[in-house]
Amino acid sequence: MKEAEVETYEPGSEADFERLYRNAYRRILGTLITLLGDRAAAEDCAQDTFERAYKGWSSWRPDAPAEAWLHRIAINVAVSDRRRERLRGVGEVIKRLGRPASPPDPATFAESSALVDAIRKLPTRQAAALVLRHYHGYSNREIAAALGVPEQTVASRLGAARRQLQVTLGDLRKRKIG
Amino acid sequence: MNDFERELEDELHRILDPMTAVPVPRRRVPESGGAMKKLLGGAGAAVGLKVLTGFAVAAAAATFAVAATEVASTGSLNPLNWGQQVTQQVNACKVSAERLGVHGIGQCVASFARTHGKTVSASHKPTSAGNNGNGNGNGNANGHAKDKSTVHGNSSGHGVNGTAGNSGVTPPKVTTEPPVTQPS
Repeated sequence: MKEAEVETYEPGSEADFERLYRNAYRRILGTLITLLGDRAAAEDCAQDTFERAYKGWSSWRPDAPAEAWLHRIAINVAVSDRRRERLRGVGEVIKRLGRPASPPDPATFAESSALVDAIRKLPTRQAAALVLRHYHGYSNREIAAALGVPEQTVASRLGAARRQLQVTLGDLRKRKIG
Repeated sequence: MNDFERELEDELHRILDPMTAVPVPRRRVPESGGAMKKLLGGAGAAVGLKVLTGFAVAAAAATFAVAATEVASTGSLNPLNWGQQVTQQVNACKVSAERLGVHGIGQCVASFARTHGKTVSASHKPTSAGNNGNGNGNGNANGHAKDKSTVHGNSSGHGVNGTAGNSGVTPPKVTTEPPVTQPS
């Protein structure tokens, strides 16, 4: 979060919001790719995130880092998207009943990795804490500010996420070796 | 930081860094208009269109009804025709009364006015329900004889629920003939 610490923004300023967009877009996109596991969906959600942020830009308070605020919005957008995706998935399963399964989309397949797949299986807020901590390098306090939860909650979410990942990835390694 | 966490970070950077190293696209600009646009768009637009169509149809129906009434009563869309018909009727009545040696043309004109009043009130009846039956046919003709001291023919043609036309005071009760267009 080094960039966010040096950058200051004025709420409601059009130019400052554009600057925030340019500075934070890639990091928000990285978070969303990890949470959603789909690049196109992540790009769409990133735009949704900045659209929502723009609506609340004049009322944003600079007492918290702007990027942490953006991440909170992005995580909420991702939670909503995953919920919709699950509903779509149920619909697709119902449609496919009795038919052979279609092959996976090559674009999605190329982006998949064992780690990203394992992170996607985590609850979204646990996955978000993990990405903010281990990809963006946020401290637990900063994650707590970004997610609007106590630090203890962040610590417990991170612990649970790591344990689950170790189990999932360990199983995968065992299968590969076996 | 233990080995797992270090491995996790390295793996995340290895996967995500190339994916996020892309040119920043143009920001999607939110649509302006807000709640009003939402209201006017989508379902709101459909409802609005239906309401407007309803008003347009009602206005057109009312216009046609008025026009039809006018045509039924005067035989023409021109409202001046009624006045012309009254003038012609009064002239005809005068000629007829003169020929018969009768003073006053009240009854003669009244019969014509009554007919017009009934026609107009009948045509208004279906379109204006609940108007207390006030079918005033606007058929009011004043016939002034040459000898004003004796006869004043005043007749009013009323509608269905209106009172019958009042003819003027006609001391020598004479039945006026129907108007003759060509006096002999």
